[in-house]
Amino acid sequence: MKKFVKKALCLGGIGYAALFAVFFFDLDGKLLFNVVEPFLKNHYDNMERKDMLKTPYDMDKFPDYKYDEA
Amino acid sequence: MDFKKALKDFWYGKPHTAEEGGRRLGENYLPKTGLYKHREWRGVKDTFYYFNYIWLYNYIHMVMDVMKYGGLINFAKGVWRYRWVGQTYLPVLHWFDRGMEGMRGEALRGSAWHYRAMVNATIYQFMSMFNADTRLHGGKKNDAWYHTMAMKETVWGGMFYGWRDKFKAVALEMIPYFVTCHVNSHTVHNYIDAVQSIGLPGDPCPMCQAESGLYVLDDIPDYSPFMITCNEACDGSVGTAILQDWFNDKPLFALQMPMIFDDPLANKFVQKDIEKCWKFIEDQTGVPMNFDLMCEYIERQNELMKFEWEKWEVAAKTNSYPINGVAQALYRIYQSQMGDLPIWHEVDGHVRKIMERAVRNKTNTFPNTRHRVIAWSCAPLYYSNWCTWAYNTWGLNVVINMDSLMFDMTIRTDSYENMLEDVAQYHMWAPMRRMAVGGMHHIFELWDYMERFNCDMVAMYDQLQCKGMQGVHGLFEDEFRDRNIPAFWIPHALPDSRTVSRAEMRRLINDYMTTVMHEEPLDPSLLELDDDMTW
Repeated sequence: MKKFVKKALCLGGIGYAALFAVFFFDLDGKLLFNVVEPFLKNHYDNMERKDMLKTPYDMDKFPDYKYDEA
Repeated sequence: MDFKKALKDFWYGKPHTAEEGGRRLGENYLPKTGLYKHREWRGVKDTFYYFNYIWLYNYIHMVMDVMKYGGLINFAKGVWRYRWVGQTYLPVLHWFDRGMEGMRGEALRGSAWHYRAMVNATIYQFMSMFNADTRLHGGKKNDAWYHTMAMKETVWGGMFYGWRDKFKAVALEMIPYFVTCHVNSHTVHNYIDAVQSIGLPGDPCPMCQAESGLYVLDDIPDYSPFMITCNEACDGSVGTAILQDWFNDKPLFALQMPMIFDDPLANKFVQKDIEKCWKFIEDQTGVPMNFDLMCEYIERQNELMKFEWEKWEVAAKTNSYPINGVAQALYRIYQSQMGDLPIWHEVDGHVRKIMERAVRNKTNTFPNTRHRVIAWSCAPLYYSNWCTWAYNTWGLNVVINMDSLMFDMTIRTDSYENMLEDVAQYHMWAPMRRMAVGGMHHIFELWDYMERFNCDMVAMYDQLQCKGMQGVHGLFEDEFRDRNIPAFWIPHALPDSRTVSRAEMRRLINDYMTTVMHEEPLDPSLLELDDDMTW
């Protein structure tokens, strides 16, 4: 039991120190700025999108819905 | 090396001013990106407060909020589908960093709680959208879709309190557009460019452009059977509503906002229009407005207003107000526009403790204040944290701002008639209406508020694409001269950081402080920064 507590405290300490290093050296910001955001931007830029200009502009004609469907 | 000084700097953090050795915060940035070589060392106590109770606490609570409001799978689907969430909200902790640079002690603590509330409210809204969104659920209209109302972001959320037990009300553009600009200023450019690509000229209000552009790029979730639009703040919003009507193709009610609103007849007109709106919702949902429920939530919102008044008293009469300019402005406009949420009450409880402790201990929360500043008109969304920079660089402490003061009222609940009259008044005092395009009387309330908050300087925003505010530019110049008030202008284009850069705004303030005020900067390393690519 003592060994387990010691090990858990040790791992917790290492984890805490590692997180502090991420925080202090802004590693989260650097990862998001240099890797995650460019990857996501590339994905969004290449997404297939509906041509909204082809949406008909009708007055008072809407897709049907009923509350009792819910 | 002076070990004694090094030890003192390690324990307490470096002193603010150049004369005392200085923190030289500008040297912490990596060129262009706004990323930090390392986050600021604020002394042992404040650095670990920031790490434990802001950075770690908020990362953990963001995950918990996502799980609580709809789950990680819905969130991941939303991130993959919508640019405005993936590109914007992942680096949210940097938004905290920018707003709280250089803050220490109670000011750091009080301001950070405000940010926590806004993050929770944002996650609540986009998760509500994703839970109901037919696009993320194979085109299926689920129960959440039938029980979520969509309204334009300039419609006060409290308008729908009477359905709170059965329906959620989520603004169409507040999270996809408005909040994104503060967190990552680049995302919105896609939407502005999109609407211009179908032929809209570049000079209308960029807010309305961005709101419409979301639809042109098909980047708005389909989360509600109908929608409420509004002509607030101006005719630009009418244009947005026309495009929304076209692209959304759903039953729509256009809630009206008269241009003249101090007239009792205008109030009567708006009361009738609000009742028509409630009738429209009843027709769509089959559920009438519940007056008791409406009053219950209005009372909860009134509590928020009463605490805000207490905060304003402390801000006006002491040096112990623990909220910085950007936290004050964003929290207040978010809370008063969105309406009641549990998180506002929770955070106000934390802030009350911090504020009372600061007042009790007579803590000077912004000890290097040289000028108490009131910021007036509409702020640049992509540089709302300019006031943090201005305090660190010049000791300009933005005590209060126009956005905070717009909804300066409680709403009566003693009868239906009184409630309706006050709801109409609240609706008419909407953002950018009461004190921007709402006429001379309210826009010149500046002078009263300046006195009330004991301010000696005005930061005057100059939204270059707001025709209403451009029309009164010269009148303000004349008044500043006649009243002998030191005032500097901050030109900007609301969400569009390409028109006036952050560096340009800083240059204008630097010029004013040196050539007109003849002052020396507190931290010269912040005068010139290249942060063009920053979020």
